[in-house]
Amino acid sequence: MILSSWMVVLPDQSEEANAKIKTIYIYNFTKYIEWPASYKEGNFVVGVLGTNTPLVTELNKMASSKTVGTQKFEIKSVFTPADCAKCHIVYILSDNSSQLNGVLGKLKGKSALIVTDKSGLATKGSGINFFVDGNKQKIELNRSNIEKYKLKVASTLVDMAVQVK
Amino acid sequence: MLKTKRTIIFGLLLFLAVSLNAQQSRVTAAYTFLQQGKLDSAKATIDVAILHSETQSDGQAWYVRGFIYKTIYNQSEKSNKQSSSRIEGLISFKKSLTIDTTQENVTENIKNIKYLATTLYNDAAASLDTIDYKIAVNNFDIFREYYLLVDPSAENFKQKEIDFANAMATVYTRIYEADRKGKTDFLNYAKASYNKALSFDPNNINANYNMGILYYNQAVNLINQSDYDLDIVALNDVQDNSINLFKQSLPFMEKAYALDPNKKETLLGLSGIYFSLNEKEKSNEFKQKLEQIGK
Repeated sequence: MILSSWMVVLPDQSEEANAKIKTIYIYNFTKYIEWPASYKEGNFVVGVLGTNTPLVTELNKMASSKTVGTQKFEIKSVFTPADCAKCHIVYILSDNSSQLNGVLGKLKGKSALIVTDKSGLATKGSGINFFVDGNKQKIELNRSNIEKYKLKVASTLVDMAVQVK
Repeated sequence: MLKTKRTIIFGLLLFLAVSLNAQQSRVTAAYTFLQQGKLDSAKATIDVAILHSETQSDGQAWYVRGFIYKTIYNQSEKSNKQSSSRIEGLISFKKSLTIDTTQENVTENIKNIKYLATTLYNDAAASLDTIDYKIAVNNFDIFREYYLLVDPSAENFKQKEIDFANAMATVYTRIYEADRKGKTDFLNYAKASYNKALSFDPNNINANYNMGILYYNQAVNLINQSDYDLDIVALNDVQDNSINLFKQSLPFMEKAYALDPNKKETLLGLSGIYFSLNEKEKSNEFKQKLEQIGK
């Protein structure tokens, strides 16, 4: 009798795990940052500029069970800076980093948190930037870039991030 | 022809064993019951005989006992993977082998031990599932003990050990996968089994790949099972633990890749590990190789 020892187990999706980490970060941002009263009505809109299916899927999973105060999450894929104007959080994916300036222009006078995913962008206008340090996903935070959009950031979040000016 | 020869040899051996004393008559009587198909009487008679001081050191008596129990196994317990008669048969042939060193008896005892041990191996293989796996382990252990007793230099035994360890690891993985939170012990059993296979053959591609996957999936699950409410400090701990697991996965997956650079699952695994370690360039290298193979 021959023993059957070969089992083809495919690896689980690493993109999904990375998306989960970023989603947990983004949900944390909503707990440690306060938007002005006029932004506390209607849905809490998170716009993702660019294409990252696992991330949008994961954000939608989070949105189905979590809220920001009484606001329900609304996850939107956006493709141009103009689409970002009504977002509470705009997450610019690394491949779309060149659109940061356009987004900054469209969000003047608004209250939005701009999140980016490319080295150096926290010094170029984004409030929070994802970066990798020692294989780990971390965040750098530019407090003035957050507060210029009339957002209040808790010191707890500031302490947990690498601060950038 | 072979069967006739065996019967003659057996008859001859029995004849030599027969003497005038009562205990040896019991051995003869047991054999007669066996020939008449009265297996219960044969068993009862030989069990009394081997307890007596005159025959407990008689290799022939133990051989007859082994033969009776082997017959009981063949006739009524063959479908029982935990047959006690098979074990009694093995114990008896082993005892006979130890006491009786005449060439003919040694040959017969070895032949019978090999036969019964092989049935244990087959039953071990047939028990490799999430329900009967303990029977598989037990039967394989007994098979190993007896088979190596009569054939210590068995050429293919190492391969049997590797195949069995890999197969057991597969069973343990299935049990774990069915209940990842409740059956975490089985993840460790699976790793131990793959380690055993690798101790016999460090270049075993299946064990290397599957071990890599165990660590890899454990790392991914650690992240995916995290709650959205996790604060950033706790998330950092989860990341540290998962990175540690990805790093443990890497050498096994790299070895599997070195052994077979064109295996798609390995390329997918390496791409995933490097992606998770945020080494995107290396991840893309393996992704590209995977795409080239797919063309």
